[in-house]
Amino acid sequence: MKTKGSKILTIIQHEYISKVKSKGFILSTILAPLAIILMYGIIIAVTLMSRGQTEKKIAVLDKTGQIGIDLVARDTSKFFITEKTQDVLTKEVLEGKLDGFLYLTEDFINTGKANVYTSGGGGLGFIESIESNTEDIIVNKRLNEIGADKSIIDLVNKGVSITTKKVTEEGTKDDYSEVLAFMGYILGFLIYGLMFTYGSFVMRGVIEEKANRIVEVIASSVRPFEIMFGKVVGIGAVGLTQVLFWLIIMTVLFMAGGSIAAMFISPSDATAISGMAGAGAANQPQQHEIIQFFTNFSISPWVIVAFLFYFLSGYFIYASLFAAVGSAVDQEQDASQLSLPVSLPIIIPIMFIPNVMSNPDGTLATVMSLIPFFTPILMIARVAATDVPLWQIGLSVILLAATFLGALWVASKIYRVGILMYGKKPTFKDLVKWFRLD
Amino acid sequence: MGILKVDGITKTFGKYTAVNNISFEVEEGKIFGLLGPNGAGKTTTIRMITNILYPDKGTISIMGKPTGPEIQNIMGYLPEERGLYKKLKVIDQLIYFARLKEIPKDIALSRAKEWLAKLGAAGWENKKIEELSKGMQQKVQFISTILHNPPLMILDEPFSGFDPINTEILKSIILEMKSQGKTVILSTHVMAQVEQMCDDLVLINKGTVVLSGGVRQIKSGFGKNTVVMEFEGNMDFLNDFAGIKINERSNNRIEFKLEDSGISTNDILAKSLSNGVSIYRFEKVEPSLHEIFIDVVGKQNKMNKEQGNEN
Repeated sequence: MKTKGSKILTIIQHEYISKVKSKGFILSTILAPLAIILMYGIIIAVTLMSRGQTEKKIAVLDKTGQIGIDLVARDTSKFFITEKTQDVLTKEVLEGKLDGFLYLTEDFINTGKANVYTSGGGGLGFIESIESNTEDIIVNKRLNEIGADKSIIDLVNKGVSITTKKVTEEGTKDDYSEVLAFMGYILGFLIYGLMFTYGSFVMRGVIEEKANRIVEVIASSVRPFEIMFGKVVGIGAVGLTQVLFWLIIMTVLFMAGGSIAAMFISPSDATAISGMAGAGAANQPQQHEIIQFFTNFSISPWVIVAFLFYFLSGYFIYASLFAAVGSAVDQEQDASQLSLPVSLPIIIPIMFIPNVMSNPDGTLATVMSLIPFFTPILMIARVAATDVPLWQIGLSVILLAATFLGALWVASKIYRVGILMYGKKPTFKDLVKWFRLD
Repeated sequence: MGILKVDGITKTFGKYTAVNNISFEVEEGKIFGLLGPNGAGKTTTIRMITNILYPDKGTISIMGKPTGPEIQNIMGYLPEERGLYKKLKVIDQLIYFARLKEIPKDIALSRAKEWLAKLGAAGWENKKIEELSKGMQQKVQFISTILHNPPLMILDEPFSGFDPINTEILKSIILEMKSQGKTVILSTHVMAQVEQMCDDLVLINKGTVVLSGGVRQIKSGFGKNTVVMEFEGNMDFLNDFAGIKINERSNNRIEFKLEDSGISTNDILAKSLSNGVSIYRFEKVEPSLHEIFIDVVGKQNKMNKEQGNEN
């Protein structure tokens, strides 16, 4: 038993070191977080740049004689009063001298209807901001006209802001269900990508050893099962290394994220940004929410543990099956057809992710996520998005373990025969036949 | 005592019987030829000895123990189809294969350097396999086979891909190992190498043993009924002689077998002289292994074919 162990260890070590040392691994491990940082950077840069940009200037042609002054007072960078006629303004817009003008007719206070003339474009936010700005003013004016009390006006101006709070045993907390669902997607896709990438690494490694006739030399030293298992474990360890590295980078980024966000969205800036971002003055509280989000929200360690578990268990199942496929063919080009039955159950859950995430506690989600071949992708998505009952987690662990043992058993029987078979391109039927040998 | 004992092994793949009840024994410290035409079952037999495949029937024992994972460490196997990791450095490759035979890394490293120097390959350590020529790769592969110093080596066509100089180097290494008391199983189609190197042999055809024993005994057992002639002139009249089988014929050398013991060599000599052929050599010899191989395998194939027709 002792000798057997050390040979497997040698294989694991060989697979791990030769892969970790490879340029491809080092590049992809470092480049992926860099790409994320770059994305952050671009978002921040765009925000910063749009700050300095002059927004659309709107001329206000005010026939009411009251609203225009208040509107300009709200945002002098955007609005200004004009005395020109409608025809002149229209011409200026056409010539591009003016972004647009707001025409307030005499009865605007009563009807609340007005037209904005622009050369087109400007986006939804642009119209909304004009609307919300004039609405506030007109409501105040109307209230003043009917002689409403100042306290009533204040009450109306208070507006509505709904924040979702999550009820937990430790008390109420801020709820980020949308963010969590989004994270479920991301983690599901990440496991999908990792299983495919590392599964195909295993397959290619097996094909390389077979095509270059290395496997026969190794098989004269080590049992085929140990060769296969050592490879699966070694390459799995490479995947784990990469994921752990990313986790550390992401944790650091996330912790820094709060202070970075706070830096860019300091309360004094908030008004300036909100004014220019075109979302209206009313969204000031949102800026605080972003800062709060970074400081209060954190990925629970439980989700990270679950992610690692589902990634590894999924990888082990599929990598074993990919190894079996690799052992059957002489060259990589022949593998595509045979690997389809293995790839399909990885792709199917990705198609179901939207359904599962729209109701992560529903029956469909529960049943689908408990099918072992789908579990790694769908269960991590659910775990991230909602509180999955413990019994379901437990059941998924048991089912995955059983599936892994089954996959390993089937794969090793095919592998043992496959690595020595050359020549004829095997069909799926051949694999079944090999599996039944002995 | 036999270091390797193969006892009645049989291996079938589906309906096809690759090896059918094969038995032989390899003496320790000898070079043993494992011969047979393509598809005879040699590779399958070797794979069973090296524990890559398991026989359906029969047993294989090495140094008195049944073959198995523990026995694999005392064997070195050079398969006919060579294989190395293309992207791996020579030294990493050698260490990896040695470690799979449970040789500690530091020992493997120093031995690898020794062997590379011995084969005129010092300084190759950090080259990738793909940077080497085919002959160089063969050397690395050979070193990987013997780096763990196995008492039993199984070499399948070890000289293929080597030029004559390297072939001689390899031959002398194999003979040196023999003198150290190690055992070599040599599988090859080049009969001249078998005659030069092997002590004993087994010849298998269609999954069964058709001939086995010491090389000397086998040759003398076939009798001195082969004639080698070196000459100048026209020997075409030999075609008219009944009971003569020509094994090899070239411009001024001919080797033929007297199948009918009634033929007198004097008649042939007389006829040659009367045809004006100058004779440089005329010798009755033991048949070459080449001839024996063709003779035995050919006869069996013919017999099987006839049996097949009767059925």
